[in-house]
Amino acid sequence: MAKTIKFTLDGRVIEAREGETVLQAATRLGLLIPHYCWHPALGNPGNCRMCNVEVEGAPKALVSCRLYPKEGMVARSAAPAPRRWQSAALEFHLVDHPLDCPVCDQSGECGLQDYYMNSIGRYRSSMRDNKWHMGKRMVLGPHIMLDQERCIMCTRCTRFVDLISKSHELGIFGRGHSQVIDLVPGRVLDNPYSGCVADVCPVGALTDRDFRFQVRVWYLDWTDSICPGCSRGCNISAHTSTRRPWQNKGLRLARVKPRYKPEVNGHWICDEGRYGFLNYDSDRLGKVMRLKPSAEELSWEAAAAEVSSALRRKPAEGLAVMASGRLSNEDWQAFQKLFLEKLNVRRFLFAPEPDQVGAEDELLRRRDKAPNLEGGKAVGFGTRIASMSWDSLAADIEAGKVWGLYAVDRDPVKVWDQRGHELLERLDLLVYQGPRKGLTGELAHYRLPATDWLEEKGHFTNFQGLVQPYRQALKPLGAAKPDWAIFEGLAARL
Amino acid sequence: MSHFSAEQEQTLMGWARRYPYRIMGLLEALRQVQEWRRCVGDQDEEYLAKLFDYPRNHVHELVTFFPGLTLRPTGRYRVGICRGLSCALAGSAAMCRCMEKSLGIKAGETTPDGKFSFETMECIGACDHAPALIVNDKLQGAASEQSISELLERLP
Amino acid sequence: MTKVLTEHWDQPRLHELETYRRLGGYEALKKVLGMDRAQLIDEAKKSNLRGLGGAGFATSLKWSTVTPEEKNPGPRYVVVNCDESEPGCFKDRVLATRNPHQLIEGLLIAACAIDAKQNFIFIRGEYQIQYEILEKALAEARGAGIIKPPVSIDLMRGAGAYMSGLDTALLETMEGKKAWPRQPPPFPTASGLMGRPTVVNNVETLCMVPSIVLRGGEWFAKLGTAKSGGTALFSVSGHVEKPGVYEFAMGTPLREILAAAGGVKGGRKLKAVIPGGVSTPVLTADELDTPMDWDGPRAQGSFLGAGGVIVLDETTDMVMVAHNIERFLAHESCGQCTPCRQGSYWYVRILERALDGGGVAADLDTLRRTGEDMTGKVICALGDTVGLVTRAMMKKFSNDFKAKFHGEPPHG
Repeated sequence: MAKTIKFTLDGRVIEAREGETVLQAATRLGLLIPHYCWHPALGNPGNCRMCNVEVEGAPKALVSCRLYPKEGMVARSAAPAPRRWQSAALEFHLVDHPLDCPVCDQSGECGLQDYYMNSIGRYRSSMRDNKWHMGKRMVLGPHIMLDQERCIMCTRCTRFVDLISKSHELGIFGRGHSQVIDLVPGRVLDNPYSGCVADVCPVGALTDRDFRFQVRVWYLDWTDSICPGCSRGCNISAHTSTRRPWQNKGLRLARVKPRYKPEVNGHWICDEGRYGFLNYDSDRLGKVMRLKPSAEELSWEAAAAEVSSALRRKPAEGLAVMASGRLSNEDWQAFQKLFLEKLNVRRFLFAPEPDQVGAEDELLRRRDKAPNLEGGKAVGFGTRIASMSWDSLAADIEAGKVWGLYAVDRDPVKVWDQRGHELLERLDLLVYQGPRKGLTGELAHYRLPATDWLEEKGHFTNFQGLVQPYRQALKPLGAAKPDWAIFEGLAARL
Repeated sequence: MSHFSAEQEQTLMGWARRYPYRIMGLLEALRQVQEWRRCVGDQDEEYLAKLFDYPRNHVHELVTFFPGLTLRPTGRYRVGICRGLSCALAGSAAMCRCMEKSLGIKAGETTPDGKFSFETMECIGACDHAPALIVNDKLQGAASEQSISELLERLP
Repeated sequence: MTKVLTEHWDQPRLHELETYRRLGGYEALKKVLGMDRAQLIDEAKKSNLRGLGGAGFATSLKWSTVTPEEKNPGPRYVVVNCDESEPGCFKDRVLATRNPHQLIEGLLIAACAIDAKQNFIFIRGEYQIQYEILEKALAEARGAGIIKPPVSIDLMRGAGAYMSGLDTALLETMEGKKAWPRQPPPFPTASGLMGRPTVVNNVETLCMVPSIVLRGGEWFAKLGTAKSGGTALFSVSGHVEKPGVYEFAMGTPLREILAAAGGVKGGRKLKAVIPGGVSTPVLTADELDTPMDWDGPRAQGSFLGAGGVIVLDETTDMVMVAHNIERFLAHESCGQCTPCRQGSYWYVRILERALDGGGVAADLDTLRRTGEDMTGKVICALGDTVGLVTRAMMKKFSNDFKAKFHGEPPHG
C-alpha cells in the first residue's frame, strides 16, 4: 500500500497519494479547483494564480498546484474568500481579453468561459480603459493558428514544445503586459505533434486551422475510439458532426482529439493521426456490386451466394487473399474461419503496403502504420502463417499460378501501378472488399462495401499487445457491413 | 564560417568558457554581440544558440526580455535619461524633450547617421544625480540643457 | 556617531588596495581564517545583521541554512546582489565605487561561512563604471594573493531588468534565463545557482561583515536597536537640498536623516516621504518620527526596504507619484503571474486616465479591490508592491485622489 495523506478540502476528507498536490488530488476526485497553467504532463509553474485556496493557519492564499497536503490540513476552495481570489484571478485574465466569444472557435470548451459562467466568475467588469492590442489570426504552421489577444500566458504551449515535442518553435517574447507567445523568427510550428498545442491551450489562443469556423463544439458528438494510424493505438475521441449535416463541409468526422491513456499515448496524438482521417467520408462504398461480367447492384444474400460459389470454382491452391492490418480483432477471427478453415487458402498477403511504413520516433509514432497486425498474429497470421511479399504474389499471378484474388481493404493497383492493371486483368476472379473504392475497386468482379472503423465497434491490439476497444461513432453508409459480418455471411454458405 | 570574425569568435568562446557552466556566459555573450553590432540579429541568435547549446527560442526570449538587448540597431552612443520617481521629480520629462529636440529623434529612435539613439530609462541607480543621464551604461551625472549640449558636442 | 561603512569615505584613493589595507582592510579576513565556521556564523548572529537589500532576512540564519556539505556534496556559491534598480536606491552603486575591497572582503568572509569556493558578483549592466572598478579591485586582490585558488570571485552583468535584483530571479538570470522569479521551496540555500546551495547577499550586507568580524557581533548589534543591528545606509533623493548616501544607526528617526540631507529643497513644506525605495508604502509628514529600523516603518504600514528615502514636497501630486511608480512596476513586471502582469498595467491605465482628467469615483474602488487581489496572490514581491503602494497613498492622501477621481463614468 502506498502511503496516503488525509486532509480536508471544503469539508470533505480526501486521501492524497504520496507526492500529489492538493490540486492533483482534487482533480482526480472530480472536485473543481480552477486552474490554467498546471497540466499533468507539463508541470505546475504556478503562474496563472487561479487555483488559490485557503488553508487554516496559513497567513495568505496558497496556490493548490504547488501545495502538498499535510496530514490533517484543512483547506477550502469553494468558501467565499478563496472563491473571491479565484474570481479576481479570472478578472485579471480577462482585463485585456477581447471577449469575442461569438466569433471564437473555442466557445463552448473555453476555460475562461467555463469559469466565468460557473460559481467562480459572473462578476461585473470594472475595466473602463482601452485594451492592449496584439496579434490576431496569426498562422503558426500547417495546422495551428494563434490569436495573441486571447492568450492568457499559461505557458502550456511553450512547455509542450520544450518538454514534449522538443522542437522549440514557440517562446514567450517580451515581458510584462506586452509579452506575447510567438514563433521564433524564421520558424514555423511544424512538428509531428503540433496539433497538441491546441489541445493544451485552455483558451481560444491556439486553434486548429482545419476546424476553424466549421462547426460549433456543442453540435459535436464525442465517441471513444482508437486511432487507426499506426500500431501505437493512441486513444482518441472522435468528434463527429451529424446534427447539422450541412456544416463541416458536409463531412461527418469534424476532428480527432487525444484521450488520456497513460501507458499508450499519455495526453498526446501525432498530427498524422489527428489530421489524417478528416477525409473519412470521401471515396466511400455503399453498394454491393457485381461489376463483371455484367454490372448489377446485388443484395447481400445474392452477393454471398455468387461470391461463395465463385471462390470454389477452382482449386483453393490458386486462390490468394490479401488483408490489411486495419482489420479489427473480430474481423481477423472471421477472416481466419472463412479463408483458413472453410476455404483452406495457402496464399496470404498481409505485409504492409509500401506507404504503410513510415516515420517513427521516441514519443508515439510507430514505423508500422497499420493499427492491427498484432490482432492478425493472435490468429496465426504473421506467426504460423507467413505473408507473401508483393513481388512474389505478382510473380505467381504472372506465372498463372493464381486464378483468384480476394482483396480486403488493399489496393494492389496502387502498389503495382501499371503492371497491376495487367496482372489483375489475368485473374478469373477478383473480389474487392473495403470501405473505400481505391484503384482496385474499379477492376473487381465483385465489390463489397465494408464499414470503416468509426461505423463499427471492435478491438485493435497495439504493438505492446494491449487489446483496446473502440466504439461506434457513425452509422454505416448505405449497405456497408463490418468486415467480420461479410466474412461470416460467406462462411455460412460454404 | 560564421558571420563573426575569428577574433570575435574567440571572445564569444571566452564567455562560454568563463563560468562553471557554459550557459552562465550566455547573457554576457549577448551583451558582447549587442556592443559589436548594436543589436542582436537572427544570425547572432542562431550562432549563440549553437555555441551555448541552448534552444533558440530561449535565446530569443532573453533578447526580447532584457531592454539592454535590442532587435533593431541602436546608435553607437546609447543615450538614456532616467524617468524613475526621483528623476521625474527633478524634471526628467523636460530633459527628455530637450534630448529629443537636440538629437531630432523621439525616444526609442536612432539618428539617421547611426551615432545616437535615445531611450527613456527606468531607474539607473543615480537618484542623487537626478535627472540622471547615462551613455553606454556609464553614468554622466545630471541632465540639464547645458550638460546635454556639452555631452553631444563631446562625443566623437 | 559610529560609522561602519562611510568612516573612510573621505579618503581619496579608498578604492585602491593599498589605501584599504592601510586603513585596516583585509584584517578581518585574516582573523576569519583562524575561526571555525560555527564561530563565524555565531558572530554574525550576535550582530543582528539583517539583509540590507530590503528583505531584512537574518544574515546568520541564511548562512546557517545552507545545506551542509555532507548532505549535498559539491560546490556551493555566494552571489553578491549588486543589481540595485529601484527608484530611490543607489547606495550599492556608491559602495562599489568608493570601497570595492570592503565588498570583496565581506564576500570572502561569507564564502568562509558557507565553505564556498566559487563566488560571483552580479552587477547591473548600467553600472559599467562600477563594473570596471570592481574588475580592477579583483585583479589587485588576486595579485596580492588575497583571492587565491581554489577560491575565486567572478563578475557578471545584467541587461536591464529590475527583476534580476530579486534573489531567485537573479539566479535565473545568471543561468541564462529570463528574470522570472522562482517559487520557493526550495530556497536558494538548498537549491540555488545551477541547483547548488547558494547564498545571495546584498552589497551593503556584505560590506558590514568585515567590521562585525573585527569588532565583534555584540559591538555591531549595540549600534542599532534591539531587533535591528548596526547601522544602515540611506540613499536620500527627491525634494531635498543635498541628495546622497548617509549612514545612520538603525532606529534613527526619519526626521534626522532628512535634516542631514539639508531638509526639503527650497525651504518648502514636506508632504510625504517614501522610506525605502518606491516599493515601500508612503509615510506622511506627520510620521517623521518613525525610527528607521526593521520595525519602525512597519508600524506605519510600510517597510525599511533598501533605505531609499524619497522626499516629496508640498507641491507634489500623489496621483502623479502613484502613476510614476506603477508605470515603473508595470514596465518591470516580468510577466510571469497574471495578476501582476495584467494588474500593474491596468493600474497604469487608470492612473493615466485620471491624470488626463478622466478619473471617476468608481475607479478608486477598482484600485482598492484589485490591489488587494494582487498583494499576496503572486509569486514575488513586485506583484505585492503593485497593489500596496497606491493603496497606501489613497489612504494617506485621499484628498489628492478625490480631486482626480470624481464623478460618474460616462456610460453608467
